[in-house]
Amino acid sequence: MKIGVIRAYLKKEFLDILRSRIILLVYIMPSLITLLFGYGIRMEVTHARTVIIDHDASKLSRELRSDFMHSKYFDLQPTPAHEAEALAAVRRGEADILLILPESMEEQLLKGLPVSLGLYLDGAFPSRGATMASYVEGVLLQSAGSVGASAPQISLNPRFQFNRAMRDAEMILPGIISLALLIAPAILSALLIAKEKETGTIFNFYASPLRKSEFIIAKLTPVFLLHSVNIVVLFLWAVYLFDVPFRGSFALYLLTGMLYLFISISIGLLVSIVASTQIVAIVATMVVTIIPGFLYSGMLMPISSMTGISYAEAHLYPTMYYTHLLYDYFLVGDGLDAPKNRLYLLILAGYASLLFTTGALLLKKRLA
Amino acid sequence: MSPFLAVLHKELSVFLRSWGLLFVVLFFFLVEVFAAGNGIPLDARHIRVGVVDETPGVVSAKITGHLHAPQFQPPRGYASQAELMQAIRNKEVIVGLLFDRDFERDLLAGRPAQLHVLLDATATTQSFMALSYLQNIVLQFEAPRLPLDVSVHKLYNPNGENRWFMSVTEMLAVATMLSIILTAVIFVKEKEHGTWDIMLLMPVDPKVMILAKTLSQVVIVTSGIMLSTAFVLFGSFDVPMHGSFAAFFLLSLLYAFTNAGIGLFIASVSRNTVEIAQKSVVIVMPMIFLSGSWTPIFAMHPFFQYLSVISPLRYYIEGTIGLFFRGIPTPELWPQFAGLALLAVVLYGFGIRRIGKLF
Repeated sequence: MKIGVIRAYLKKEFLDILRSRIILLVYIMPSLITLLFGYGIRMEVTHARTVIIDHDASKLSRELRSDFMHSKYFDLQPTPAHEAEALAAVRRGEADILLILPESMEEQLLKGLPVSLGLYLDGAFPSRGATMASYVEGVLLQSAGSVGASAPQISLNPRFQFNRAMRDAEMILPGIISLALLIAPAILSALLIAKEKETGTIFNFYASPLRKSEFIIAKLTPVFLLHSVNIVVLFLWAVYLFDVPFRGSFALYLLTGMLYLFISISIGLLVSIVASTQIVAIVATMVVTIIPGFLYSGMLMPISSMTGISYAEAHLYPTMYYTHLLYDYFLVGDGLDAPKNRLYLLILAGYASLLFTTGALLLKKRLA
Repeated sequence: MSPFLAVLHKELSVFLRSWGLLFVVLFFFLVEVFAAGNGIPLDARHIRVGVVDETPGVVSAKITGHLHAPQFQPPRGYASQAELMQAIRNKEVIVGLLFDRDFERDLLAGRPAQLHVLLDATATTQSFMALSYLQNIVLQFEAPRLPLDVSVHKLYNPNGENRWFMSVTEMLAVATMLSIILTAVIFVKEKEHGTWDIMLLMPVDPKVMILAKTLSQVVIVTSGIMLSTAFVLFGSFDVPMHGSFAAFFLLSLLYAFTNAGIGLFIASVSRNTVEIAQKSVVIVMPMIFLSGSWTPIFAMHPFFQYLSVISPLRYYIEGTIGLFFRGIPTPELWPQFAGLALLAVVLYGFGIRRIGKLF
């Protein structure tokens, strides 16, 4: 390898990126992803629009109404005249929950006779439907249990570990950082190489005495260096804008981020070997990064709740290991003390070297 | 052949001949939609629970007996609280139940008993759901003879079939991304190769050429939507269609057309493919994530609620969910059709003026 050649090529690549406004892709995209998710995604169901039709008009049913009114999970809507009207509102997507309290509900409950309540939910959004059903049943059981029976004996004493206030931001942001640091560098590195292929300038590389290693170093170093800044930028967004606590070591965070950057750049390199045009490079990189990155980040569902194939797939994709470490650095703070974290760091290093070596070996310095 | 048909024919042939592109587009519409539908159960299912039991185990066994599928996986036993904490840290379980010695003693003596629940709150949604399930289990356990029966009707999706919703929204996301990027690229490719100026110099109305080029991509994307609907939604997941299929087809066609307008807009303000990649990501990402498929629109920040008015995907998603699941009669969908049409007019107006002129 000739240092002079690499230096000249590096200078050209840096100038290219700066002049062609690609720099926007480097610095806007990860931050945009972070801000959008951070502000736009609300996993918790609150303010479900609830309609209660009360045929009972008893003390219990009035109490029930006020229970719903004072809960942050429900927004009580004005009661329509007919059930059909309420159902139509649910169908139009203007109400989420319709609860029908039958006649003489309180009387029956006091006598210990069976009572059947009708609960209609908008199930078009299944996870919200399940959450809402569970909340409503909770309110009903609690209120109905207070009729006649003695006060509840068992009380749950929940202790929320690592995220006491149960804030969405603290759950989402480490996952978003892993997503942003996966997508953007992969797309950029795939694009830079595919661009040379599409415009034909790759022949300069084929025909010149430039070596493969020099080409790879010159192409990918700018991506790596420019995106390394993003590791810090995203950290600043998370900690200062979204108030996510940081309990680990910053040096370790930075180091792990760079290791992960290495992985995502190698993914881009691998894609660019198969793709011969820029459009295929972009779209193919999105295929291999966005969905698996999102799915296996643990943001939507914990890996432990996955079963069968998806559980295995999650362990095959590098994102899971990085996200685990990120959650540790931000919320738990065990760092290198936990054996699992040390293992995951090693696995990440393994992925980085494996993917990069494969990419470097598969890249050909001649026409395929 | 009229210039319009000639350009349309040419663009479609180019697409069908580029194997790589054809492959990724099909991959997106078929495999990706299938994978997303199958793979993302958003609700809390199969929650893994760890249990530390310091009591003789009469009451605790009854309570843990209620932790069953599909909400819970069979609970795992741990010897001590420390071990349970370690398991939560390693993300082996997200919920830990701690029955301490006082629990059963208090309960049998008629005193209020405390059941400690440790939750991994880094998975906020699931631990919240788990807590709410547990709360209901305990309430039911305490009042087994409470004659209250809540008959839950989940309208439009009675079994809470998650794959329906996820596969439909994923298909819409794929259609959104492809319709914008593909259209933008066919224009900018000509710009990059310098052939666009030649096209404009030809004695054909540029509007005809622009419309023919966008229409070719509309045909591709609409075919993709239909293939995906036929093979993945209907074929693999048995997604119901309660509304009119013809209306869904028309809505898809109009949507692809409006989105091609966004692609045209991007193409008219970009010089090369890299710029398209940047701009489409900046436009497509917010469109998809603020479309109401992850978080319902009314639950979002008010700023995003206003912003979603100019997103075509909002109208398309409302219309599609309405047709597939809610069975809304077609005439009631006029606001969605009108919204899309209005956006299309604005986008094409701008795009044609900007890209259809030489100087």
